[in-house]
Amino acid sequence: MVQPASEPIIRCSGLSIGYVDGIGATTRVVDHVSFLLEPGHSIGIVGESGSGKSTLARALLGYLRGGGRFLGGQLEIDGVEVTSAATASIRALRGLRVAMVPQNPLASLTYHIPVGRQVEEVLRARRGLLRLEAEQRTVALFSEMGLPDPEIIGRRFAHQLSGGQRQRVVIAAALACDPALLVLDEPTTALDKTTEAQVLELVQRLRSQRGTALVLVTHDLNVVADTCERVIVMKDGCIVEQGPVTTVFRRPSVDYTKTLLDASLDLTGDAPSANTLADVLVNAEKLSFSYGTGGWFKRPQRQARPTLDRVDLALGRGEVLGVIGESGSGKTTLGLILAGLLASDQGALALEGHSIAMVAGKRRPEMRRRIQMVFQDPLSSLNPRQTVLAAVMRPLRLFFGLNRNAAREKAASLLSDLGLGPEYLDRYPRQLSGGQQQRVAIARAFAAEPDVLICDEITSALDASVAGQVLEELNAMRRRHGTSVILITHDLAVIWRMASRVMVLKDGIVIEAGSTGDVFAAPKDPYTAALLSSATRVKRLNEEPTPSSLINEIAHVA
Amino acid sequence: MLIAALRRVLLSVITLVMLAVFIFIATEIMPGDALDVSLSADEIAMIPPERLAKMKQDLGLDRPAHERLLAFLNGAITLDFGKTLISKTPVSAIIGYPLRNSLILAGAVLLIAIPLALAIGIAAAFWKGRAVDHLVSTGSIIGYSIPEFVIGTILVMLFAVAWPIFPATITASTRDPALTLLASSPLAVATVLIGSIAYLARLLRTGMVDALASDFVERLRLTGIPEWRIVFLHALPAAVVPSLTALALYAASLVSGIVVVELVFAYPGLGQELVRGVTRREVHVVQAIALCSAAVVVALNLLADLAILMLDPRTRRA
Repeated sequence: MVQPASEPIIRCSGLSIGYVDGIGATTRVVDHVSFLLEPGHSIGIVGESGSGKSTLARALLGYLRGGGRFLGGQLEIDGVEVTSAATASIRALRGLRVAMVPQNPLASLTYHIPVGRQVEEVLRARRGLLRLEAEQRTVALFSEMGLPDPEIIGRRFAHQLSGGQRQRVVIAAALACDPALLVLDEPTTALDKTTEAQVLELVQRLRSQRGTALVLVTHDLNVVADTCERVIVMKDGCIVEQGPVTTVFRRPSVDYTKTLLDASLDLTGDAPSANTLADVLVNAEKLSFSYGTGGWFKRPQRQARPTLDRVDLALGRGEVLGVIGESGSGKTTLGLILAGLLASDQGALALEGHSIAMVAGKRRPEMRRRIQMVFQDPLSSLNPRQTVLAAVMRPLRLFFGLNRNAAREKAASLLSDLGLGPEYLDRYPRQLSGGQQQRVAIARAFAAEPDVLICDEITSALDASVAGQVLEELNAMRRRHGTSVILITHDLAVIWRMASRVMVLKDGIVIEAGSTGDVFAAPKDPYTAALLSSATRVKRLNEEPTPSSLINEIAHVA
Repeated sequence: MLIAALRRVLLSVITLVMLAVFIFIATEIMPGDALDVSLSADEIAMIPPERLAKMKQDLGLDRPAHERLLAFLNGAITLDFGKTLISKTPVSAIIGYPLRNSLILAGAVLLIAIPLALAIGIAAAFWKGRAVDHLVSTGSIIGYSIPEFVIGTILVMLFAVAWPIFPATITASTRDPALTLLASSPLAVATVLIGSIAYLARLLRTGMVDALASDFVERLRLTGIPEWRIVFLHALPAAVVPSLTALALYAASLVSGIVVVELVFAYPGLGQELVRGVTRREVHVVQAIALCSAAVVVALNLLADLAILMLDPRTRRA
């Protein structure tokens, strides 16, 4: 399988790719990209969304999505020049010499065919195996991937498997014909941290056992840190930096790489100090929530495990409380209950010691004003037919009864505090970038002069560099207004930078809470430890020479 | 799986009973009884009161509404829809053959239209944005938007008048065997067929375009799986599933709704009988036809639901 080391499996030089739109205009998304990959070696391609990394990944299989064109340069895969090769010779490469593990394993498996049959199909169609051979080979592959009960799993449909199992099935389908090069496109974004560690460990093991070369495309620098030898940093279609992972991550030579590193991994410096909770502003007891199921002909039943299970919470005046957890941990539900958008099944909620209604509609306007929320997706939380100015003026007029001119002045000053000048006032949300939209949503929340601001994953829809700026501005605003913030996120770096106290949610239960410094320095719960170690792999790269030892550690913890 | 299927059957039965009740209410409890509806005010004025009371008694109109509803539901189950008001023939005898004839026409049309529409829809989706697709899109909009009576008239003018190879109207009678009936009505079949192919091809093209754009198709292409396997084994079932409910509704509308075509070609189907029933104010005939049409809609919907259960494993839970 392994070719002589002198002959690279990928030889990419000056490659440019563009998309042609309906009226014939070309947008260049990959711009003069050059790199080499030797057989059996691994390279990571990192960049923010829109950097062209996914287009480049598919091009490695001679595949361009609709409207895509090779604009120049060469791309030789396993000796085949894919920019000019005939369809037949490109198809001969796919599956046999180069294989791809796509981003979303659930959508990437045909939902109406059992998963085992889909792997058998690859073996039968590409390798010409007979049915029985293909079945046996699939079972062997599934057990190599670490799937439990491979025969039974093979008869299931994709929706009946867990996220990690689906990803293993997709990897098995890609590796069925023993390709020399495996391209993984964001292989862990759909997975939770524990499963991510297991899947990455599997990829590492397969690479060392089979000698498969690896291209790993991701926005998560931590994933690259322990899986790849070399890294390419892409921005706007260009390679801004490439080299060995240790060199690039320890001593980035380009500012952009530094920004990416800072944004996703930096837990250096000190976390904000935890002030003692003398002045409690919000007190919540035993907040619980279960989503009901059932309908006309079925006895309505509550889900077996509540989304949120008797959560207590205290928020001090002027402090930032971080709520951290993976998707499905109940952190968004908690935020919605505090904002009065969902009613807790039991428990109580109090502001400055006075009990307040669970549902916002039953709260007095003054109470509604004092608790505000900023949502994850700014575009869908702003009225598309309202200008920036109108959106921010509304709470000013509603809560403070300001006249048009006064409201206009106040709104403009709030927006300029967030770096949005007068030229943005009359624009509509669609005409703004994601970061600008989120700034408008933040300005609108601060317009009510709230005591409590609930921020639900407000930066997860933004690129890392923009997210950093938005958080800085939010921090400055809340200091100036003395607002208490509940910061809901899955990103530990965000918590580290802003929150003085943190609570960790898992399966709707608070498993750990305390001052950020204490929790991060010495997590008491193994789950918190796993979260932390998977988010700090690059940082540890600077201290520990062997990244692989870390994977074992994570797998152990998990 | 079995439980899910049984649930849907049960739901269909409940729907049908509710529809029957609704039809009864709509035709009987509304102001005026069957006699008022079937006879004009002048006629009623001419009939002596004793005879009118006797007629009401014969028809069971003197009984309270809930008793009549039960009798109607009972009759519907045993396919006994009562007798006509004027000629006293059983309603089931009047609508039996027209119902069969409508089913024959709709069945023949669907048997030809579905495979053709599948082929056209798949081709248009596969070569999306190319000449074939534009041709199909334009053609199907034209075919679907021209009213059936216009298509029918054009076909008659072309193939019965200008170039007389087919009969203009149907010569077969109501009780002829199925094949005789079909053989004598090629222009009626063709008229319905044009609209059907146009509609179904559009439906399937949309489903197929979505299916071919899905992530699993991209994964298969990136694995080098032959294109025919991707199209027919992976994408086609995924394209058909979302189209099935619409297909069932369309098929049902063919059985009960091609009144215009039946009138243009004098095809002895349910539509013609419905028109006759309404003009002669035969309440029981109208009730029976309405109930039959509803039953066809419900039955075809049930078939579509069961087919979706078979094709899409994700729907099998509960």
